[in-house]
Amino acid sequence: MPPKLLKWLRVVVAVAVFAALTAAFVDFRELVPWKIGHTLGEIQFVPSLVALLAGASLSLACIIIVIVTLAVGRVYCSAICPLGILQDVVIRLTKRLKSRPASYARPHTELRQTFLWATIIAAVAGWGGFALSLLDPYSNFGRIMSDIFRPLVTLANNSVVGLADTVGWHGLFRVVPSWAGTGALMVPVFVLLLVVVLAAWRGRLYCNTVCPVGTLLGWLSQHAAFRLQIKQSACRKCAACMKVCKAQCIDLNSSAIDFSRCVACYNCVDVCEKDGIGYRFAWARKAPISTPAPQAAPDAVRDPHRRVFISKTMLGIAGTVGISRVLLASEKLRGGKTKPAPNFSPVICPPGSASVERFIDRCTACHLCISKCPTGVLQPAFMEYGLLGIMKPRMDFNVAFCNFDCVRCGEVCPDGAIDLLDVATKHLTKIGEAQLFIDQCVVVTNGTDCAACSEHCPTKAVSTIPYGNNLRLPSLNGDLCIGCGACEHVCPAKPDKAIIVTGLREHSFAKKIAEPKATLPKSTGDFPF
Amino acid sequence: MKTRRDFIKAGFALGASLPFANLERLFAADLPLKTAGVSTTPVRAKSILVAVRDGERAAMLDKAMAALGGMEAFVKKGQTVLVKPNIGWDSPPERGANSHPELVKRVVEMCFAAGAKSVSMFDNPCDQWQRCYTNSGMEKVAQDTGATLVNGKDETLYRQVEIPNGRKLQEGKVHSLVLDSDVFINVPALKHHGGTLITACMKNLMGIVWNRKFYHRTDLHQCIADLLTFKKPTLNILDAYAPMVRNGPRGESADDLVVMRTLLVSTDIVATDAAGAKLLNYQPSDIRHIAIAAEMKLGTMDLEQVDIRRFKLA
Repeated sequence: MPPKLLKWLRVVVAVAVFAALTAAFVDFRELVPWKIGHTLGEIQFVPSLVALLAGASLSLACIIIVIVTLAVGRVYCSAICPLGILQDVVIRLTKRLKSRPASYARPHTELRQTFLWATIIAAVAGWGGFALSLLDPYSNFGRIMSDIFRPLVTLANNSVVGLADTVGWHGLFRVVPSWAGTGALMVPVFVLLLVVVLAAWRGRLYCNTVCPVGTLLGWLSQHAAFRLQIKQSACRKCAACMKVCKAQCIDLNSSAIDFSRCVACYNCVDVCEKDGIGYRFAWARKAPISTPAPQAAPDAVRDPHRRVFISKTMLGIAGTVGISRVLLASEKLRGGKTKPAPNFSPVICPPGSASVERFIDRCTACHLCISKCPTGVLQPAFMEYGLLGIMKPRMDFNVAFCNFDCVRCGEVCPDGAIDLLDVATKHLTKIGEAQLFIDQCVVVTNGTDCAACSEHCPTKAVSTIPYGNNLRLPSLNGDLCIGCGACEHVCPAKPDKAIIVTGLREHSFAKKIAEPKATLPKSTGDFPF
Repeated sequence: MKTRRDFIKAGFALGASLPFANLERLFAADLPLKTAGVSTTPVRAKSILVAVRDGERAAMLDKAMAALGGMEAFVKKGQTVLVKPNIGWDSPPERGANSHPELVKRVVEMCFAAGAKSVSMFDNPCDQWQRCYTNSGMEKVAQDTGATLVNGKDETLYRQVEIPNGRKLQEGKVHSLVLDSDVFINVPALKHHGGTLITACMKNLMGIVWNRKFYHRTDLHQCIADLLTFKKPTLNILDAYAPMVRNGPRGESADDLVVMRTLLVSTDIVATDAAGAKLLNYQPSDIRHIAIAAEMKLGTMDLEQVDIRRFKLA
């Protein structure tokens, strides 16, 4: 491939991925087919890795990304990772705000490794879902789009509905914007600010300092078979490449590219008039031709590097295992002291997530399900799941209730946190159980009919029985209840609702009573009046 | 789906044509209605209720409307029509939770054939509104007929109104289509209802108000009746082809339906519901909102006092 094509190809793929994912996340009225978001989520490194490790799906994207990175470097970071591409957008938009001096920056190796190892240790200790929900770049992007931009786009839509009507543009309608709670919203707002500021200031600094995926892939990239290198014979040290390098990883003093930080954007390849930067095979035993003698004994340099690398790896693994053993032991200790926890949960996770623990473990809080939930019942949690579950979706029956025939969250979930249920299974999947507080019921307190709960109940767990003077009182059969929240959502009782769904920690199945076909009232063949 | 644009256009057009519409009404009021046997004079003549059995939905509607002087007796050329089906649930037609698209389609077609300038439909549904519109088959009806399906979940389309003659419901937000359309045709499905025993024409009008919770919290039956003091449909077409007889109003499966192949049409909403109650084996007075509405003189509950025209198609 002609080297100049590389950048073009990267830009085309990146723009397509970014546009499609952004559309999928800000889509507030189900215009974008759900498969687009799901597929582009599934090919992201962290969701794919989580799904594969959890055995949720044979998600090979993460393996392919590893292989590609080991072959040619961090193509993922520039072409596929939406948070990376978002930074490229910021870099492009702010380019003219200041004249960026051509500069090489030293790597923040300790900081990078700290974030990576913290993530790995957390994962082994069982807090991976928490660490990844904070640090996975794809999930951070998802939250930024879903929580900040989706409501803004909704508001923009609402503001032009009237105008569109008058000029005769079909098909717009108002939608209530869905804002996350302040607590849950703080994280994406903070990350957006951080990413924008860092990108405008120093390019891909976030990716090469904070992002654990960037560090992991950087570490592989450092040992890639093909690496971008500077052809000494061609280089005039004009520094054009340094100026366009988003990772500030080109050091013209030593004519070296820090390939662990290179995000494979190919700006340098494209800008060099002398074709002085290109891929070279780096696994050859011999020193690359481009490395001049004064640079001296690359093998001698590389060997200690490799030794340090291997020893650090071993140390890291040992440390991880050690720390996680301690953490797991302390967890067991805590578990041993308390009685077996009851199967009730103050917070309700979506059908298909199987249990609160599994959900917190696997979900990286990308909020794709929240974006795609047709009713808006899925809302980001703040502290409802505890700190470990911050921002993970929960069922909020104040906002809406779960549509009986809908399995959209399971369809879109890219990391196997929400299983795809078939509709028949979903109809019986019990995520919680309603509790009736009959003393608060309008029928009792007001002496008038209501039955909103029974009316909405899709399984007839809530029915009505005769009460008082020709009234109908709600009556609950908890075995039939799946916890969809319809009854709670519509209950008009004030100040406290008379029917409230309590979540199940471990989801189970509701019973179903098979009724024979209705035959009454029997037809007389004539009018009954 | 055509939505607000058409609606607003219709609104402007209506505004512009208001004087004519009124005049037209003046002239048109007596003749066709008299032929239909409905009198608008203060001396209350008997309400007419057409009951048809044993046909397909469209055929029964054709028969019933012919008996009432045709749709032309209710829809004048150039008028705007609101058809209000029950689209409350994300449920397919065969489960009977919503008005049947076959019947609604025929109603819309008749309105257009009578010269309606526009026919709009909406509901303020219980389930997610787009899924209700799509899965009930109403979206398809709108596409096939040229009717306008309007978002019932847009609060800005509802207007605050006073209901001075209401006992409990004395104000509320009512969808502007109800307020602005010339003709208002109510096309509910007859169903069992866990709270009100049956749901038919009167209960279907809960879908034209924004805040249903107020009804439930205050006095469901009284509020249902109170709304009629503000607005009564021009015509009520009650689908009892296969009413849901248990687990209503949402129903669980098609097993909840009993085939009756019956259709009721009347300008008297109380009489229609009273006959509907009879079909489901209730006395009209068992249904409190029917009894209250009758007591408030909003229609006739006593079917002895109703001129019932019965037709059997088979």
